[in-house]
Amino acid sequence: MKQGPPRFSALRQVWRRNWRTVLACAALLLIWQAAALWLKREELPSAWETLRDVPVILSSGEDVLGILASLRRMALGFGLGLLVAVPLGLAMGRSKPLARLLNPLTALAYPIPKAALMPIIMLWLGIGDLSKVLVIFMGVSLPLLYHSSQGAEQVDDKLIWSAQAMGMGQVARLLRVILPAALPEVMLGCRVAVSIALITMISSEMIARQNGAGNLLFNAMDMAIYTDVYAVILIIAVIGVVLDVLMERLRVALTHWADTLQPGSTS
Amino acid sequence: MPKSLIEIAGLSKRFEVPGRGAHLALTDIDLSVREGEFVSLLGPSGCGKSTLLYMVGGFVAPSSGEIRVSGKPVREPGPDRGPVFQEFALFPWKTVLQNVMYGLTVQKVPAQEAKQRAEALLRKVGLADYAGFYPKQLSGGMRQRVAIARTLAYEPRILLMDEPFGALDAHTRTTLQNELLDIWERDRKTVLFVTHGVDEAVYLSDRVVVMSGSPGRVLRVADIDLPRPRVRTQLLTDPRYQQYVLELEALLDHARAPETTE
Amino acid sequence: MDHIRAQARRSPLFVWFAKHGAIWPVIGLLALWQLACLAGLVPPRLLPSPAAVALRLAHDLLDPGFLFHIGQTLIRLFSGFFLALALGLCLGIAMAQGAEPFLTPLVRVASPIPKIALYPALVLLLGFGHASKIALVVADAVFPLMLATLHGLRSVPPKLVWAAQAAGASRSTVVLTVKLPSALGPILTGCRIALVIACLNVFLAEMISSSDGLGHLLVTAARSYQVVDMFVPLVLISLIGLLLNASLQFARRRLPIAS
Repeated sequence: MKQGPPRFSALRQVWRRNWRTVLACAALLLIWQAAALWLKREELPSAWETLRDVPVILSSGEDVLGILASLRRMALGFGLGLLVAVPLGLAMGRSKPLARLLNPLTALAYPIPKAALMPIIMLWLGIGDLSKVLVIFMGVSLPLLYHSSQGAEQVDDKLIWSAQAMGMGQVARLLRVILPAALPEVMLGCRVAVSIALITMISSEMIARQNGAGNLLFNAMDMAIYTDVYAVILIIAVIGVVLDVLMERLRVALTHWADTLQPGSTS
Repeated sequence: MPKSLIEIAGLSKRFEVPGRGAHLALTDIDLSVREGEFVSLLGPSGCGKSTLLYMVGGFVAPSSGEIRVSGKPVREPGPDRGPVFQEFALFPWKTVLQNVMYGLTVQKVPAQEAKQRAEALLRKVGLADYAGFYPKQLSGGMRQRVAIARTLAYEPRILLMDEPFGALDAHTRTTLQNELLDIWERDRKTVLFVTHGVDEAVYLSDRVVVMSGSPGRVLRVADIDLPRPRVRTQLLTDPRYQQYVLELEALLDHARAPETTE
Repeated sequence: MDHIRAQARRSPLFVWFAKHGAIWPVIGLLALWQLACLAGLVPPRLLPSPAAVALRLAHDLLDPGFLFHIGQTLIRLFSGFFLALALGLCLGIAMAQGAEPFLTPLVRVASPIPKIALYPALVLLLGFGHASKIALVVADAVFPLMLATLHGLRSVPPKLVWAAQAAGASRSTVVLTVKLPSALGPILTGCRIALVIACLNVFLAEMISSSDGLGHLLVTAARSYQVVDMFVPLVLISLIGLLLNASLQFARRRLPIAS
């Protein structure tokens, strides 16, 4: 087989694994285009118009900065979640009393969209970044707590006993034995958490409009600039897909040693 | 000579095992079963006897060879060949009565008649009082009785039984063996009975087909010339019964040993 | 004194509390919260006491105007859920019957996209009323339902199918009388997830753009800095979600289906 230059063969590999997904995207865009042309409604711009609008939005420095600010807030909220919810969840997984204490409280929080807490939190913390980061943190905490506790619960007791026998303290055991052993499940939780972080970010910015991707989206809706609405949705969609792909890559890279690679919700 | 109801000729079955290539489960099977015969398929685990049964039932397709029932080739499952499985396979969301009625409902028998026929069958297997129960409320032996009643409901000509008493304790097993013989004596259906228990095979059957390990083949077909109806207490002291059991045990041990000849 | 204690122990309320230990952390938290408010540690304009919220909730539940808003939220929630269920079942069945290679790539593309981002487009297309919110719920809830149906259909024990086929059932009869009932367990689990997704989306949509509903009540209260009125819709949506989740769990346990 002819060996092309390295860049091409890598591309060919990517294509071979993902051609169906690419085809699906193309099909969706085509259906959209056909529907828009057939319906001929102003509120539904065609795919082509929307795609042409995307670079227009991306060339506006203010808008791009806003989107980057959104991503920064997401990262902060997610990072906070990792620091707080993962260790707490791991501890919950190994301690039944702790689990029994926290589970009912998280169950209460589950049906509440965390972005809905924005108005209340803004009363306390004002309109700045902190309230949004806090809300994102709360949003990612639930899946991280759940998956970390599941992962920790499933860790073989014997691993922990060996560590105890070696004289490892509680915190050391948590970080050096339980966390690595529970990592596959924790990474699954991270994958869910990333998508929830995105949802929480967008919805919190649509509710408390300051700057950012959600704000862009809401403004476009408010001013009925139809192509902008769809263009921002596309940008957000691409961000979502990219983040998911990256997180999935990271997950596989960190946990390829696990016996049963769980495919996650839609692999 | 009465014509064969089931004709199996040159049958073989090859399974594709992912990562290990092809596995030859059965090879070169020739067998005829006459109407009204009770035939056991006896062999060690993994010899393909269940696979053979499933192919007669039309649940699994052969790789080569042919199975004919009443002269017609078997292509798919049908109500002329009723299965009874080791795991009972009852519908957990249906009551005992609804399970038994299933075949009748599917064949569009009017509800009232279906109910009466099902209730009669439940009386036959001694479970009339449990009509409204759900399978999970019943013991293993009771569930298998329901499974048998469910199959008998649509009156198959052939009963295909796959180690039906294998999941039951010894006492329940002997009870159900006797009940099966009672039911069978009444309409003399043709029965293909898979088992790995020699005494069970000899006790129940007219003929025993002894099969060997993988790939599965027919080692021997033994005629069981014992009087019917078979009474357990008499049979256990009958030297002919004991002889059959000893012979077949020896054959089975040989079958379990790794094959040295082709 | 002892016989009183023994009697109390037998009372159904006590038994219920003992069995449902999950309620204690909640009560504990509420108690702490109430004490903090009574001690003056928390400014009431920032965080109302549980008692105040409970009183306002009780008062609101007797107000037909308020009940109207609850009704609007519930209408959207259930309409969206049932539509998503119907669509999810059909798509799941289609996937089990061979459409999977076509639908899986679409699912994979659509999943990482936050459906709430579609809401503005839906509002522009379908207006500010029920339709846009129901469409949003369908867009988000159809995925877990479709995948749960597929998983359920794939996990049907084959011997059940064989037993039905031998009895004479046609392909479609097998799907309707054996495969779908057998898949009911996983489908109910999918329904639990879908109902929570419905709660979340309806509430958010009503906060972003709506003229009525629980979410709308929250933003209205926020504009006039009425903290107590801000907590009431939150408590309600949480209770609704919990109730729906618990009912489905109860149903799953009571139904005579294999675990």
